[in-house]
Amino acid sequence: MISETEPILELENVSMEFDGRYLFRGLKLQLRPNEVIGLTGPSGSGKSTILRIAIDLITPTSGTIKCNGKDIMNCDPREVRKKLILVPQQTSMFPGTVRENLLWGLKINGLESSDTELEQILREVKIEPSFLDKIAENLSGGEKQRIGIARALLLSPDALLLDEPTSALDERSTMAVETTINEVVERRNIGVLIVTHDKEQARRFTSRIIDLEGYQ
Amino acid sequence: MQFEMIIQAFQDILLNEENLAAIYAYIAAMVLLVVLVMISRWQRLGIVDKLLIGTVRGTIQIILMALILIQIFALENVFILYIVLLFMCSFAAYTVKSNLKNIPGVFVPSFVGIIIGGLSVITLCLLLGIIPPSGDYKLGEFMIPMGGMVIGNAMNISTLVIERMWSNAQKQRSLMETALALGATPYQATEMTIKESMRTGLLPNLNRYASLGIVTIPGLMSGMIIGGANPLFAAFYQVIVFIMIFLAQVVDAELVSRLFLKEMFNLRYQIIVPPPVS
Repeated sequence: MISETEPILELENVSMEFDGRYLFRGLKLQLRPNEVIGLTGPSGSGKSTILRIAIDLITPTSGTIKCNGKDIMNCDPREVRKKLILVPQQTSMFPGTVRENLLWGLKINGLESSDTELEQILREVKIEPSFLDKIAENLSGGEKQRIGIARALLLSPDALLLDEPTSALDERSTMAVETTINEVVERRNIGVLIVTHDKEQARRFTSRIIDLEGYQ
Repeated sequence: MQFEMIIQAFQDILLNEENLAAIYAYIAAMVLLVVLVMISRWQRLGIVDKLLIGTVRGTIQIILMALILIQIFALENVFILYIVLLFMCSFAAYTVKSNLKNIPGVFVPSFVGIIIGGLSVITLCLLLGIIPPSGDYKLGEFMIPMGGMVIGNAMNISTLVIERMWSNAQKQRSLMETALALGATPYQATEMTIKESMRTGLLPNLNRYASLGIVTIPGLMSGMIIGGANPLFAAFYQVIVFIMIFLAQVVDAELVSRLFLKEMFNLRYQIIVPPPVS
């Protein structure tokens, strides 16, 4: 169900041309708090590109992107990226432990956190607090994905943009990630825009689906 | 008349017994070069052109330098010596650019980095009275060879830092995007690469520094001793040169990395490095 509050993220008539071909044209999207939107479409239709456009990592060919009502072209890109955090498909871990990875985002933004807070955030994404001292690079795909979500949540974003968060996971890990996302949305009242090639998954746990096939 | 003088100068060089011995040694050393080229070809290291062109170019450069070195070493005018060092810095930056042909915008960051890194260290040494040492020494005898070593090492670390930053932006794009997505500035997103390339760039000299006198007998010290200097005097100056090199390399790397970021990111903190050509 779409809430009546102001959208966190708004895409107005966004088009992206690449190598003389439109990936998508005239895309419209509004993401509100407490909402999970699924972005589906065939391979190469620009699903991941939309997430990068939303946080100003790529500039679209045309269209406007607003974050909390403001055109992102008039905002500091760092401020936009702190409000809308992208967790990429193969979540990259910085060299070092899980603790160092969790603290990385905080440190660059001049923030700190105690071990108790880190343990709490790990519990929120269903990871044992004992993982804090593990080498992040050695974790499984599902664990890395959830650490990536925890790392983003520590910055208290308004929305998470998840790029195929379960594409490389088995069924059990997929369910764990989906449950985590749903609980996080409910608890924190944030919005989630999730890219998935799996239409069944989109139907299962998103409140609205946008199929890019309709924008080509 | 002038032509006859040039011929005479060449005859003087060639007829000198010592020079003839050096020319023989140079020709004989081409056997080593052939072996090196064969190994490089076999292993497809992609450095054969650089080795061959470098040998021809380097030989011409060093012979010309040798012919004018006596005059330069005898110089006492700081202004002229700085012009010579500035020329060396320009050539060093041009060398970095030539070695990184596929990377855009290399010259300006390396030129600024080498000039500030190299010349600030030389200037500091002049102000502290480290060069020239008190006694019957010419300023050029110290400023040019020491400047050459400092500039050469600054050139090496410039090449390494720029190459690593560029290739990591291509190969580890996902990690860089993850950092930007968490609100990192371009410098924060590349900081790990910069630090790693600085450590890598300093490592060969740190190894030489650690084994100084036991494994490594550096050129400056050997040259000074062969030239008749007091060994203790030469030893002190060798350590000074290492400290100068380290400082110049660190200053250079910090500057080059910061200046080169504008070739990798635009004002909206987006990565503008193209993906690697597969």
